[in-house]
Amino acid sequence: MNILIVEDEKTLALEMARFLGKEGYTIEHAWKKSSAAEKIFVNTYDFILLDLGLPDGDGFELLHQFKQLKDREDAVIILTARGDVEDRVKGLESGADDYLPKPFSLTELLARMHAIIRRKHKLEMNEVNIHHFILDIKNHKLSFEGQKINLTGKEFEIFNYLVLNKNRVISRINLTEHVWGDILEINSDSNFVDVHVKNLRKKLSAHAPIDWFETVRSIGYRINSSL
Amino acid sequence: MKLQLKLALYNTLTKVAIITLMGIFILVSINRISVNHIHQRLIQKKNKLVTHLSSTAINDLLTQQKTFTDYNLLKEEYIILKEVKNNHKEKLKQYFSRETREIEGSQEEYEILSAEFEYRGKRYLLELGETMSTVGQLENTISVFTFFILLAAVILTLLTDLAFSKFLLAPFYQIIDQKLNKVNDPISFNYEPVKTTTEDFRILDQSISSLMNKITDLFLTEKEFIANVSHELLTPISILNTRLENVLNDEKLSVEGENKIFACLKTLNRLKSIINSLLLISKVENNQYKKPDAIVLKEMIHEVYDELEYRLAMMDLTFTINLSEDYVFNGNRSLFHTLLMNIVNNAIKYNLPSGNVHIYDTVKDGKYALVIEDTGQGMAVNQVSHAFHRFEKFQSEKEDSYGLGLSIVKSIAIFHELDLEIESEIGKGTRVILIF
Repeated sequence: MNILIVEDEKTLALEMARFLGKEGYTIEHAWKKSSAAEKIFVNTYDFILLDLGLPDGDGFELLHQFKQLKDREDAVIILTARGDVEDRVKGLESGADDYLPKPFSLTELLARMHAIIRRKHKLEMNEVNIHHFILDIKNHKLSFEGQKINLTGKEFEIFNYLVLNKNRVISRINLTEHVWGDILEINSDSNFVDVHVKNLRKKLSAHAPIDWFETVRSIGYRINSSL
Repeated sequence: MKLQLKLALYNTLTKVAIITLMGIFILVSINRISVNHIHQRLIQKKNKLVTHLSSTAINDLLTQQKTFTDYNLLKEEYIILKEVKNNHKEKLKQYFSRETREIEGSQEEYEILSAEFEYRGKRYLLELGETMSTVGQLENTISVFTFFILLAAVILTLLTDLAFSKFLLAPFYQIIDQKLNKVNDPISFNYEPVKTTTEDFRILDQSISSLMNKITDLFLTEKEFIANVSHELLTPISILNTRLENVLNDEKLSVEGENKIFACLKTLNRLKSIINSLLLISKVENNQYKKPDAIVLKEMIHEVYDELEYRLAMMDLTFTINLSEDYVFNGNRSLFHTLLMNIVNNAIKYNLPSGNVHIYDTVKDGKYALVIEDTGQGMAVNQVSHAFHRFEKFQSEKEDSYGLGLSIVKSIAIFHELDLEIESEIGKGTRVILIF
């Protein structure tokens, strides 16, 4: 899959490229609106990660130009420091697939991209197997050897996010933001995610030992796929 | 009191005073004029009488009696002629007096000319009287007439003054209404001058417009500043955040290194939260949000409850919602959600284990009020008064508090024109009251 990162902040673009590169994506950069437009007209991408504040123009204009093109399936995720609700609404109304306010975490970006892939391409790989637990992402269901496990919406979200970012430590803050969104002051007190994880673990361990569901002390959680 | 009414009253009062003075003056002068007139007439009559007198006439008049008296049919005038002792040394008297005389049983006031004259060595006293009742009647008629004229003039002036001042002041109220009352957002200010021929109002209008121009400039500068801050601060945080995440992906990283990086990420997150909170407060205080949603209070409270349910379970708290009314109001849904979330979250965070959070509605000072009550640690009186200040932290053992939650609550409450009250007692709990 190939991605175009339209971002004038080069360091940020390079860090994103490094992370997504490891995930197996092919990355291209554009630092300006004009060069981004050229690339978009010539190539097709699976994802266009679009910053709104570009040195030679507004990202919205680029999005508008792109939407004039026919037969294009490129998913657009707006990445911006303009976190206004109005901007968010405007972005989604102009045809962006998602809107991620800066600063965002790369794991969150990855989760959003996966969600778009599932939505857009209706992939067959909607089921993920992790230590014989089958995660049906499309239908929000979890089962173990054919037995259904009842999870609450939040528990499923947490498990899905951890599985998606398997072998990576996911901090409580990161997890809280993913599941509850950005609710300012409240996120500062992120320990309450533990209750959800505790319940989730109880439900999983009723079926099989879950040593692979690791708690990283004082930080967060990790799902280890290699154990 | 309105200027319009003041002007009208002032005008009316001065006119009443002037007309009253004039009325009194006229009445007094009428009295004088009539009396003078009578005097003149009496003197003329006397002179005529005296010149035309002859001894026979006097003898005729005085034949029967020593005194001759005559009055006309309506008793308006009378004449008395009698002989008096002739003392040559004394001067001839002539004077006016006003006396009540009884004529044929009816008493009347007369203006009397008493004049002595000599005729053929004899001295006579002539009394000519003329009734005053006609003068009194005239005075009465004039005073009644004056009173009605006065009354009519007062009413007429009051009405015309009111109408005129209303017309005169119309542009003033238009300026107040259009340029001051209806202005919520300096950007959408209408600079078109209000039509008026009054120079003062034109100056007022221009002054307000130029003031508004300055405010708009400041407002835009601040808006720009906020946008800049959000961009210029949040972008480097973004870079740091992604870079640290990438470092974490390095498999050679030691556990200690991993811990340190997570600590950095946590601090970064704190920085982000503070910036976002401050930005939110600034934007709310700058009226950069709209109020497009009809918010159903009950629904929203249940939403907040759903989101915080697990935290309640964690602290073993009971949560009760008692709403008697389906209150709906206009506002900004996401902002109000943040407000409720912060209040309820505080009620949970600073509660004691197995405590209670109670949300109910009531009527306070005739207005609908929502109360969020907890059985938590509570605050002292001096803490309550500082509770809304930015970065104010009391329960400092909670390391993850930035002291911005209640500032956010306060600014959102003001934005929605709600009154916010906190009642608290140490060890008993806190009651946050939102008055709609």
